[in-house]
Amino acid sequence: MDEGETRHDGSGFVDRVMGWFDSRLGLSHQMLRPAPQYSINPFYWLGALATVAFVIQGVTGGIMMLYYVPNPTQAYATTQYIFQVVSYGTFLETIHLYTAYAMIMLAFMHLMRGYFVSVHKRPRELMWVTGMVMGFVTLGFGFTGYLLPWTIVSKSATDVGIGMMGALPQPLANWLTFLVVGSGSDAGELLRFYDLHVVVLPAVLLVLLVVKMYMLEAHGVSEPTTGMDSLPPKKKKLIPIFPDVSFYLVELAALFGSAVIIVSVIFPLSLPPEYSASLAGQYVAQPDWYFLWVYQILKISAFEEAGLAVALSVVTLIFIVLVLLPFIDRGKIRNIRERMVYMTLGAIFVAEVAVLAVWGYLTPGQVIPDETAVLVLGGTALLVTLGSVVAYKAVFGGLNVYLKGRAKSTATAAEAPSLVAPRKVSSRSAAVWTSVLFVCFLVAGAFFIGLSVNGVIALRLGATGAIQSLAVSLAGLSLIVVGTMFFLYRLDLGTGSIKRRIRAFELGWRE
Amino acid sequence: MIADQSVSGENNAVTEGMGLRIAALLVIVAALSVFVLWSVNPVGSGSEATYALYLAVDLVAVAMISYVQRAIARGGRMARVPLVAGCIFIVVLVVAGLYLQSA
Repeated sequence: MDEGETRHDGSGFVDRVMGWFDSRLGLSHQMLRPAPQYSINPFYWLGALATVAFVIQGVTGGIMMLYYVPNPTQAYATTQYIFQVVSYGTFLETIHLYTAYAMIMLAFMHLMRGYFVSVHKRPRELMWVTGMVMGFVTLGFGFTGYLLPWTIVSKSATDVGIGMMGALPQPLANWLTFLVVGSGSDAGELLRFYDLHVVVLPAVLLVLLVVKMYMLEAHGVSEPTTGMDSLPPKKKKLIPIFPDVSFYLVELAALFGSAVIIVSVIFPLSLPPEYSASLAGQYVAQPDWYFLWVYQILKISAFEEAGLAVALSVVTLIFIVLVLLPFIDRGKIRNIRERMVYMTLGAIFVAEVAVLAVWGYLTPGQVIPDETAVLVLGGTALLVTLGSVVAYKAVFGGLNVYLKGRAKSTATAAEAPSLVAPRKVSSRSAAVWTSVLFVCFLVAGAFFIGLSVNGVIALRLGATGAIQSLAVSLAGLSLIVVGTMFFLYRLDLGTGSIKRRIRAFELGWRE
Repeated sequence: MIADQSVSGENNAVTEGMGLRIAALLVIVAALSVFVLWSVNPVGSGSEATYALYLAVDLVAVAMISYVQRAIARGGRMARVPLVAGCIFIVVLVVAGLYLQSA
């Protein structure tokens, strides 16, 4: 576009207003890389919405800073002052908290969406790593901000978190503890949390945001997992960031803001009692919801005391794997239908996090027996795997073809979907039911293993009726083992090779 | 409104002229809600809720105006469903705000 030429040269009112700004600010001159039309979809802008939440927090937090004093003797009183005296103070506090929750949730959704559509693959590896670090900073915002009101809830939860840091390997434990707690006094701790929350973390996040935006500008929006060839030309068309994409983002941001506001009207925040050492003894400490899943892992009895370091290592390993994912999952395939294993692993991760968080909320302060943990976590993983296999077979495999085939029995081979030839319908349908049955066996096996372990423990503790329950669970386990063996035998008989069968089961939708 | 509605059918579309009239009305609604925002007594939790609801009205109106502008820039046709849904949402919020003010 030539210098001085504007995009808004129409005679309409809006065009004239836009043209006025355009001629002065040069908005229509290409400053940022245009986005493809297919990116006009909220799932492409979850990170942008998290940024909007960050901005709202900056504004509301900045206003609250005018009144808040980061000192243990005044922190609660000044927070109470904001709630009770400052105009719209409760609204400010509520919006600040709910946008923080929304930011964490949006960051998590952004992460998982990126994982499922494989945005971490070449050349966006460093974007992924930067985004992960931004996610940790976001969690840091939650952790540091939670303490500031100095309520019994916030101080107790923060103490749990600081206690966890102490179980990390040395010298990391000492470094982290010194960083967030300092000398150990309440005043030093609160001041450090405040500084981290309002200065250090925002600065780090802004720098990372700039870095990520730079990389977005370099690489653009990621392509659809099915490739550009699968899109109609209209969807491939590039549209300028201003005004087209900007107006879309305004839409999203305004709707997001109104949603947060309405939620804050329906569920206004109330201030819990002030922290005191005497009151803390009567209160069951529980972290905020976004840390509950980690906390629930630490409550499993095997991870008590000496096992804490092991649990923290497991959680740390999960985070390390997520950060280094682009260097682990290096294949070029991005198509969801060809990534069942990764999709299933992602779904299991999301389900486990959700189950642990809800479970943690429902069992505050309770130690979780090992066998219960095995049953719940193992059962969740198996059920998700079952669901994933069935969903894959239904969507990409033979089941849909089978159902369509029944509905359109007169359809010719040419009209059938190209993925699967009609003559293979019966074998694919069999593959679905084989998978379902196999996973059912696994679920039942895990259930009976858990029951058996429980029965052994009960027997050792001398509980009444323990021998009967152990006998029943062992009988159930034996049945499952025999059933599984028979099932494998039948599979081998039917196909001639289990290996071939498993291959057909894994790759069926690609043939 | 969020998802791209450019593929909506002919019968389900609003023309540019109509869209501009809707946008003009929305500007009035947004201006009125801002006016009400400043007239709300800031003391008390009920008034906070009223303030929040009118702020939400304002934001929904902004989102709809933005949608209309985007649709005009795209060729002047826009889907009716998001506009009707947005208008109903605004009416619900205004009624809730008025109810809270009178309570």
